[in-house]
Amino acid sequence: MDAIRVHRLRKEFQVQQNREGLGGALRDLFDRRYNQVVAVDDISFAIPQGEICGYIGENGAGKSTTIKMLTGILVPTSGEITVNGHVPHKEREQFVREIGVVFGQRSQLWWDIGVIESFRLLRKVYRVPEQAFNERLNELVERLQLGDLLTRPVRKLSLGQRMRCELTAALLHNPKILFLDEPTIGLDILVKSEIRDFLLQINKRYGTTILLTTHDLQDIEALCSRVVMLDDGRIIYDGGLDELKRDWGKGKELLIQFGQPCSPERLRALTADLSVTWEAVNEFTLKAWIPLEQANLTEVLGRVMTLAEIRDLRVLEPNTDDIVKEIYQTGAGKHV
Amino acid sequence: MHYLSLFFDYIKIYMKTKLTYRSDLWIEIVSDLLFQGLNLLFILVVFMHTDLLGDWTRDEMIFIYGYFMVPYGLFTAFFNMWNFTERYIIKGEMDRVLTRPVHNLFQLVLENIDPSSLFGALSGVVIMVYAGTQLGLDWAWYDPLVLVLLVLSSMMVYFGVYVSLIAIGFFTDSQTGILPLVWNLQNYGRYPVDIYNRVIRFSLTWVLPFAFVGVHPASYFLKKGEWQLYAFLTPLMGVAFFLLALWIWNVGVNRYRGAGS
Amino acid sequence: MFSLPAYLEMVRMKFLMMLAYRVNYYSGILVYAINIGAYYFLWQAIYGDNQTMQGFTVAQMTTYIAVGWMARAFYFNNLDREIANEIRDGSVAIQMIRPYSYLMSKMMQGFGEGLFRILLFSTPGMVLVSLLLPVDLPTDWRVWPVFLLMLAFSFLINSQINILVGLFAFFVENNAGMMSMKRILVDLCSGLIVPLTFFPTWASSVLEWLPFQAITYLPASVFVGRVTGSAVWEVLLLQFVWFVVLLIPIWLVWQRARRRLFVQGG
Repeated sequence: MDAIRVHRLRKEFQVQQNREGLGGALRDLFDRRYNQVVAVDDISFAIPQGEICGYIGENGAGKSTTIKMLTGILVPTSGEITVNGHVPHKEREQFVREIGVVFGQRSQLWWDIGVIESFRLLRKVYRVPEQAFNERLNELVERLQLGDLLTRPVRKLSLGQRMRCELTAALLHNPKILFLDEPTIGLDILVKSEIRDFLLQINKRYGTTILLTTHDLQDIEALCSRVVMLDDGRIIYDGGLDELKRDWGKGKELLIQFGQPCSPERLRALTADLSVTWEAVNEFTLKAWIPLEQANLTEVLGRVMTLAEIRDLRVLEPNTDDIVKEIYQTGAGKHV
Repeated sequence: MHYLSLFFDYIKIYMKTKLTYRSDLWIEIVSDLLFQGLNLLFILVVFMHTDLLGDWTRDEMIFIYGYFMVPYGLFTAFFNMWNFTERYIIKGEMDRVLTRPVHNLFQLVLENIDPSSLFGALSGVVIMVYAGTQLGLDWAWYDPLVLVLLVLSSMMVYFGVYVSLIAIGFFTDSQTGILPLVWNLQNYGRYPVDIYNRVIRFSLTWVLPFAFVGVHPASYFLKKGEWQLYAFLTPLMGVAFFLLALWIWNVGVNRYRGAGS
Repeated sequence: MFSLPAYLEMVRMKFLMMLAYRVNYYSGILVYAINIGAYYFLWQAIYGDNQTMQGFTVAQMTTYIAVGWMARAFYFNNLDREIANEIRDGSVAIQMIRPYSYLMSKMMQGFGEGLFRILLFSTPGMVLVSLLLPVDLPTDWRVWPVFLLMLAFSFLINSQINILVGLFAFFVENNAGMMSMKRILVDLCSGLIVPLTFFPTWASSVLEWLPFQAITYLPASVFVGRVTGSAVWEVLLLQFVWFVVLLIPIWLVWQRARRRLFVQGG
């Protein structure tokens, strides 16, 4: 069964337009102009239960808008959403009991009182039975090492500590689906990897479906088996991370250091028929990108060796970062 | 039942928060009372130069003022959302509220309770008793019940006006400044409306019905013959404005969820 | 004053921001009109059959209310709240690294707001009110420029008080109560609600030694013609003196606040 199913989902906004200057502002006083903006443009996808799906895209691509529609905060302009068998914006109060939401940039805890007080209140809000709550809390406290944080007021917590508490707060009622909007933003590497491990555990143990938006592609590599990539309100890639690498990472990057100065022009001439791109790093070092469909490594290296002595050679594996950049640059995805 | 138990949990949270800032709590209470005192001062100053305002005496005015403080104190104890647009719309906390399985307005009310203004209500009762004694008002056995009913109705009028106004935040996130201004206007509800001209009297009775949080219900106890009819209208107005506000609020929430950003 | 262009830009920005808040503008006009109207009727009822009270004729009283509220539209600002908020959320520290004086920039923003209100709010409002109510405008043209100058001082003094109250957020965790109290105090003690002559003698003699009367009571008294001749210049001098005197506590508090900010990091 699919945990999330989205069909031709669309969201349009009216954005107020301000005229320029003093005269413009005076005119705005009596006559406003609006622009129609399409934030999410007829997207469709489905996420099976138990999957961790990364939802990525540049700022303003429509990620947050989608999350807000999936969590029932916003009502779509058109299209269908089913999450957990519910239509989020219709049976909101019933529906939200089964989901957990973390907005990385906003706290859902009470600022001035001990963390545990917030948790207790959330227990009441979500109507979690006392015993289930205690078990759950103990488990989360142990896994996220919250022990001595529980009695501290939220305002005295570091960002990493706070985020661990936010995650706990979102999971106290054992939601079937967890929505994370930028959960690792601003955290240091150690905390990030702790949180990633934790999310993986939760997913394995309870089969919690997780949808997360992130700018950190390491989150994706560590967590997601599936990636949905958004650009300008449209899905430009939807598929597995491995396939993403296979389909897009079709090339290898070489870093070659020569014994003598070498200009990229000469190398370009040498490999003109192989469509290798060259880029000078410095006088002695060059970077080559070899599309594996049209050329092979031996061939290129063979030709290069005739030109000059090679001091050092490194093959760079494609990483998600480059792939994503590449997809954005070519502007269109393959799967959709 | 669920909502009632939630209510007490939020009160607990409130108490814990307040106890961390104990000195602030006292400053709040004292400044609240002083504020009320300053308003009373105006009445006293004015009556140093005249015996009657319209056909209302000083003690009658003070009695109205005492009544006015009661629903106001109770209302602000449970409703303290003056910075709603700023906090919930601009800073986006409304999103969090909407991801929780409790009615959104109820959550908002709970998150913003401020029982310290109950002191205002209490001092209102004291003032009423003082002025009532001065006037020699006689109380029937059912009058305390009527008082409770009228106070509840006045609170609903407040709720109606302010929830409707706060819902404006759903339609425009710019600071409208309308709240503090209307808040200024509510103060005219504690003067007899017959001193105003028709337009203002009409507005204070039917548009922004602040006459129903002060002079109208209070006149029931003052036995001001011609005004008692309005006193009986108070519950009706309360219910009407309460329902109107709920409707506007829901339209606003729907619009927020439709427009968003 | 060496960064005058920057300050002027702040005035302009605030002016534009005010224009952008259109609902605010409409509602403001409406409610000030109602305020004036309500107090007009309240005072009509207080006067009853009396023609004069405490030296104010009915017509003078009406004018006093109208001009008092319109002046308030100009001098009123929320600098106290803005400063307190910026102190509490820590953004005051960021403002400190900018190459201008923080307080001066606040003052300028307040002035931009006031300028907006006097041009688009008070002036049309005063015209409207004088059509609807029996308001006596000064016939001597010389009163007008003098009154405008006094208004400028009202703005300065009121803003100074606001800044002072706002800065207290450095020393107490929550000065919201203090701010709302100040607001009432200014409305009452400045004579906006009741002219000072109506207070008991002991109260008005206390108020004569406080800066509040320089905000509304004195300028409005000049406007309605209760203060004339050389006394007008005395009023101006008094306003100026209060302006200078109030600089001292602001400076002191500001020094202490900055020390606190740098030691404790906000």
